[in-house]
Amino acid sequence: MSIAPVEQESVSTLEDAEVDVPWITLVWNDPVNLMSYVTFVFQSYFGYPKAKAERLMLDVHTKGRAVVSNGTRERMETDTEALHGYGLWATFQKDE
Amino acid sequence: MARGFKRRDGRYVARLDPVERGLVVGLMEQVLELVAPQADDAGVPRGPGEGDEFDRIVAGLGGVGMGVSLSAADQAGEEPDAAPGAGERDPALDRIFPTANRQDEQVAAEFRRLTEEGLRARKSANLTTAIAALAELEDQKVSLDHEQALALVVALNDVRLVLGERLGLEDDDDFALLEEQASALGEDDPTVYALAVYDFLTWLQETLTQALAR
Repeated sequence: MSIAPVEQESVSTLEDAEVDVPWITLVWNDPVNLMSYVTFVFQSYFGYPKAKAERLMLDVHTKGRAVVSNGTRERMETDTEALHGYGLWATFQKDE
Repeated sequence: MARGFKRRDGRYVARLDPVERGLVVGLMEQVLELVAPQADDAGVPRGPGEGDEFDRIVAGLGGVGMGVSLSAADQAGEEPDAAPGAGERDPALDRIFPTANRQDEQVAAEFRRLTEEGLRARKSANLTTAIAALAELEDQKVSLDHEQALALVVALNDVRLVLGERLGLEDDDDFALLEEQASALGEDDPTVYALAVYDFLTWLQETLTQALAR
């Protein structure tokens, strides 16, 4: 059985300060994608636990969209492309 | 009579009769044709006259007047074959490869330029896997490994996206509205058939998603 490693003190790196405004990936509501499927995609692509995946899915469904990830622009473009591969309506933008 | 997917001993099993299986495979083949990496004329629907009325709906050739608006009054006088002309982009492609940035058209265009061919290749490979998985069956029993099940769940979603676009589904309530409108139509009306097919695919995808999520 494995034990979770003791959390290491994070060493703040120079890049942290240099990262430009964070970017976000959004998923928008649409009438075709199934609630179960959207949850499944959030779990399998992002590795989110079921509860988090379901909460995000419900946000998409009830609020029309949800922020599903954040980070560098490059990372958000990767996420957006992957989500398009699954057929979700994803966009990326600056977190403003 | 179909039976939805269940997970059994690490495999994903269902039952589809030959007609149901032929329907699903045929639709995946049509979507494959739509998303396959672009030759010069890819994405332009086949000309009118090919296939039956339902094929024409899937190909975006309408014929039943289901446009963006669900109101029958708005459909009146519309060209029956208001399909995208040569060189025009099929609107279903915009649903499968949607705008990736709603704030900046240039960023969105650049993203599309960089990603669309790759996505087309991946979707094509995925559809091909799903088609092969169903086409090779000899009886009604469907039994897929994990990779095939994943390919099929995404492929079914792609088919539903295209069909949803053809049916003009834009809001969550549109399917119910359309069903209500269609209840006045005859059983053999292509719209009624298209809605039944969409409903069947929704059910099939739902059972497969549940089986995968377990």
